[in-house]
Parts: sequence; C-alpha cells; structure tokens
Amino acid sequence: MRQITMREALNEALHEEMERDESTVLFGEDVAKFGGINKVTQGLYEKYGAPRVYDTPIAEATIVGAAVGMAITGHARPIPELQFGDFASIAFDEIFNKMGKWRFMHGGQMEMPITLRLPVGIAGGAGPEHSQSPQALFMHGPGLQIVVPSTPYDAKGLLKTSIRDNNAVLFFEHKLLYDMKGDVPEEEYLIPFGKADIKREGEDLTIIATALQVQTSLEAAEELSNQGVEAEVIDPRTLAPLDMETILNSVRKTGRVLIVHEESKTGGSGAEIAAQIQEEALFDLEAPIKRIGSPDVPIAQSIHLEQFYRPNAQQIINAVNEIIDVPV
Amino acid sequence: MAEIYQRDVNLEDYDPDLLIELYKTMVKIRSFDENLIRLMQEGKVSGFYHSGIGSEGLSAGSITKLLRDEDYIYYNHRGCNQKIAKGVPLSKIYGDFLGTIEGTTKGLGAGIVHSADPSRGVLGQAGTIGSQLSLAVGSAFASQMKGTDQVTIVYFGDGAASRETMHGSLNWAKLYNLPVIYICENNEYAISCHVSETHGVKAHIADWSEGYGIPNCVVDGNDVLLMHEVTKEAIERAKKGRGPTFIEAQTFRHRGHFEGDPYDYIDKAVLQDWKDNRDPIKNFKKQLINSGLTTEDHLINLGKQVEEEILQAIEIAENAPMPERNRIYEGLFA
Ligand SMILES: Cc1ncc(C[n+]2csc(CCOP(=O)(O)OP(=O)(O)O)c2C)c(N)n1
Repeated sequence: MRQITMREALNEALHEEMERDESTVLFGEDVAKFGGINKVTQGLYEKYGAPRVYDTPIAEATIVGAAVGMAITGHARPIPELQFGDFASIAFDEIFNKMGKWRFMHGGQMEMPITLRLPVGIAGGAGPEHSQSPQALFMHGPGLQIVVPSTPYDAKGLLKTSIRDNNAVLFFEHKLLYDMKGDVPEEEYLIPFGKADIKREGEDLTIIATALQVQTSLEAAEELSNQGVEAEVIDPRTLAPLDMETILNSVRKTGRVLIVHEESKTGGSGAEIAAQIQEEALFDLEAPIKRIGSPDVPIAQSIHLEQFYRPNAQQIINAVNEIIDVPV
Repeated sequence: MAEIYQRDVNLEDYDPDLLIELYKTMVKIRSFDENLIRLMQEGKVSGFYHSGIGSEGLSAGSITKLLRDEDYIYYNHRGCNQKIAKGVPLSKIYGDFLGTIEGTTKGLGAGIVHSADPSRGVLGQAGTIGSQLSLAVGSAFASQMKGTDQVTIVYFGDGAASRETMHGSLNWAKLYNLPVIYICENNEYAISCHVSETHGVKAHIADWSEGYGIPNCVVDGNDVLLMHEVTKEAIERAKKGRGPTFIEAQTFRHRGHFEGDPYDYIDKAVLQDWKDNRDPIKNFKKQLINSGLTTEDHLINLGKQVEEEILQAIEIAENAPMPERNRIYEGLFA
C-alpha cells in the first residue's frame, strides 16, 4: 500500500471534504497562502480561494466564536485551526460553553458542525505555552467530541468523519506525528467515532495509549516481546465518545493495565479511563492500574529538560515490569 | 486619524553621551542577535527564534536613558531588543537560550519569551502574543495605586494588536487614566499576513486608540531619535498623571518570522529598500559621522568592544552547567 505522512493524510482529507461539500469553510492564522504553520492546509487556498479559505486576524476567541456563529446558521461547515492547541485556553469560553453547549441550551434547535484543529504536544523546545496536550480538559465538557489520531491512516479517516459530523469536534494532532509515514489507501474510507483500535494484540497486559504515545508504546511492546511479555496496545482514537467496550474486553483478557499519555498525569484522560475500568472490571484486575503521564509542572522551554516530560519506551517497559511482577 | 509624528532633530541639541549610548545599544542588540543565530546554526539553541534585526532603533530609542530600573516593560516576542536596552545582563539572556543555570530562569530555558528580571522592571512575557496587553494595565494600576511615578511600557506587534486583549486593555487604560504606554512594533507582517489583510482600521492601528480618546501617533520606528522624542513626551504625560499614550512605530523585519522561514511572501524589492535606506543603525551612524561628533574609526572600535562583550557573555552562559532533572519541580509556588 502507498505510504504517506500524517501531514499529507490530513491535507488529503481536507481537500476531499472541501471538494465534496461546498459549505465547508476553512480559516485560521496563516492557513491560506502560507498553507498553515504546519503546512497541513497547503493548496486549499489555491484551489478554493476566499471566502472558503482565508487567513484571520490573530484572535483565537473570535476565530472559534465566529465558527459557532457560522455553524448555527445551518449554511456553513467551519473547519477552523488554532496554530497551537494550547491556545484553546484563549478561546475557552467559545469552545467549552458555546461549541459544547449552545445547541443543548437552546433546546436542540441548531447543529454544531465544527471541526476545530488543534496541534499539540512537546516538540523541540517550544516552551510551556506551545507544548501542552490539553485534551482531558475537554472530556469534562459536555457536547464536545474529542479526536486524537496516532497514525496517518487514522488521521485521514477520522478527519473526514469529523468534518461530516453535525456535532462539535476537537481534533488534536501531535506535532511530532506530522512527519510520520504510514499506510493510507487511495480509496475513500471513513473511521467512526467511539471505535478504539487494537494496534497490537497480546495476552499479558493492556496498554492504553493516545497520540504519539501509541507509537512509543508499540516500540516498548516490541522490546517487551523479546523479554517474553506480550502487551496488547489499544488506541481509543476518540476520547469522547470513548469505546469502553473494546478496552474492557481487553482488560478482562489480560487483567493488567497501563495507561500512557503525554498529557500531564493528574487529571489526564488516563484518570477517567482508569476510573471507568475499575467501575466495570475491578474484579478482573490482577494488579493495580498504572498511569504514565508527563510531570504535573509547566513544560520547560529547555530541550535538555524537555526529555524529562515526554514519556519514553524505557519508562513504559519499567512500568510494565512492575505490573507484571504483581503476583496473581 | 493618527498624527504622523515629525520633529526637527538636530544632533547638536543632544548630550553626546546619549547619542553614543543610543548607537551602542543598537549595535549591541544586533550583535546579540547575529551571535544567537550562529549558536542556533551550531545546534546549541532551539530554532524557535524570531530575529529582531532591523528594528533596533525602536527599542533603543524608547528605552535607553529614558526608563529607570523601576519602570516596567513587557517586551515583545521579536528579538531581545527591549530586554537588552533595559539592561538585562547579556549572559543571562544567552543562558535562557542555552538552557544553562546562568539564565534568568535558572536553567528552565526561556527562549525569546519568559526571561524576566524584576530588579530591572522586566516582568516577563507571554507565549500567547498580545496577552501582555492585559497585564500591562494591571502593572500600571499597581503603580498608580501606590502613588509612584513609575511608567509601564508594553510592546507588541501589529499582529498581536488584533487580539481581543487590545481593546480590553485600551478601555482600562483610558478609564482609569493609567500610566501606560503602548508601543506597537508595526513591521507590516504577522508571520505571512500583511497588516492590510488582517486589520480593519481607518488608516493606522493607532487609530483604534483614538476611539478610546487616547493620545496617539505613528512614528518612524527606525529613526532612533524620533523614537526617543516621542517616548519622552509619552513618559512625561504618564508621570504628570495624564494617562496613556499609543505609539505605532513603523519598521520592517530583515529576516523571516522564524529562523528557517523561507520569507518568500514579501516583495523582495521592499525588503531591499528597508535594508539599504531605512536601516536604523546604518542611518544613525551616518548622522553621527556627518555631524562631526565622532569618526568612523571610533564607531568601528565601539563595535569591536561590543562584540567582545557579547563573546564574553556567551562564554559565561555556555560555561554554566545545565540544571539537574529536578529543576522542573522547583519554583511552581512561592
Ligand atoms: C495568541 C497567539 N496566537 C498565535 C501565536 C503564534 N504566533 C507567534 S508570533 C505570531 C505573529 C505575530 O505577529 P506580530 O504581532 O505582527 O509580530 P511580529 O512577529 O511580526 O514581530 C503568531 C501568529 C501566538 N504565539 N500567540
């Protein structure tokens, strides 16, 4: 099968969906002529031009607020981008209260077909306000769907689904995955929300991971396999809706769980997943659930210190060994 | 509409020490920047850097010998121009880029934003550009409340001016008559977007402040003496309790938005014109020599001294150790 990068996969999804639906409108800072600071929106301005593709002022609250206003008319399907997912903080009211609640608050009379693209993650010394992974904040907000792809294949299929969906989507892209290559078929496909993917099968324990940490976990799983431990690696792909069924089936099989994400540990998405596992399958567990996240402190700008935030394969291996060592 | 600030400036009217200091500050800023880019090319510093080359006059003019240590600044995210003019030790700024414990952040690393030196009134900066506009009115409010004559200058780009915080800040500044000076470093571009593509204005960004009744003007930010004059007037106004001023300073960046930016979205001829005819250092040097105040040789010597000072600062910063891993757990709370 052909291999393309996640950046190319996302770009293809945008091209295909903008071609398919004339009500799509893509906007954000430097997304038009420049093709986006991460070059994900390249070629769209040349093809569709303004007003369907345009550069906005640097005003994140207005970008998201305007997307809501467009969406609820029923005439537009906005695909806004924030240059860094961290800037969701600037548009917090517009995301948390408006995108998430406007429809419900007004008795369900309007739709919210917005896909807000949010590049996240620690990537090369960008500092405390350009490196975060704020996904979990929004799990607490009703009315928001949260998509977190880990491969080019998933990125393309999930982005297409997001754009077609009539409800609000926060689409988180880990910046270190943009250059990652993977199989992506030429033919069209969609990936449904709420369907986790088992990235690797195994009998001994379940690793639940998102974004870049899916790749790190797969790397660790290979190494563990050499030691005779077979890990099952599950990528939920969407944190909301969350596919607990796939996760619980795996947990019931292995009895041991490690959750890995780059989000900081306290209050990260792993906290919610762990809580739900124990609610449903406590007596299937043979060891306490472990979580790995980045430290609960702001992300230092220094590249030297940055390495101490992003979970690595060795940490995963060590944690797995601790879990495995718990006697039955 | 905003006044275009013009004054007849005669070098004879100025203290020669001030003139030399202005020149030296600009040269220091540029040399700092060029050496930082070298460190980046050597792989010692992360590439998240927005060079401030081409806009040194704006910072030297508005700070040097005008602001005291107790006056506050919020610098912008382009170069280290204002931090250097405000006197933050060069080794400390380099330390923040290199991530050694010499930095103001003692090893956390700061890049362009997040260096701070409260002892010199440098209160830090946001990674979210334009957020400093809200903080600035708070700092000015605190000075007013305490009854001091401190002023706060907030620097920001044309792009940052389009943040919602701009308007919240202007409203407060006027409403509470705050001793705050807005200096908009208008280099015409915000990454790839020309100011005309992203700003709804009468003619100038400064016109926005007119709507709030704030005295304002547009000035050639690459004319260091004009910058000095216009800021001096604004500082006097603030100190006399007459409130805020908005200064839009025109300039242009010589390099791309970040190191590695192809910078192919601008008109090459326009850039060349700014480099050839509107370089703040080149022009001021000519003025100084033509006035007979100094000689080319003297200025070359001065440049060498500055370079020496820069290299020493880099050596201090590079020789300091990297922090231990547990540095990241220190300093979250007082
Ligand atoms: C709130 C926020 N939005 C976007 C960015 C990304 N960003 C960094 S610099 C920049 C352009 C700033 O342009 P301007 O204010 O004109 O200053 P210049 O870089 O031209 O000096 C952008 C969009 C950011 N850091 N913060």
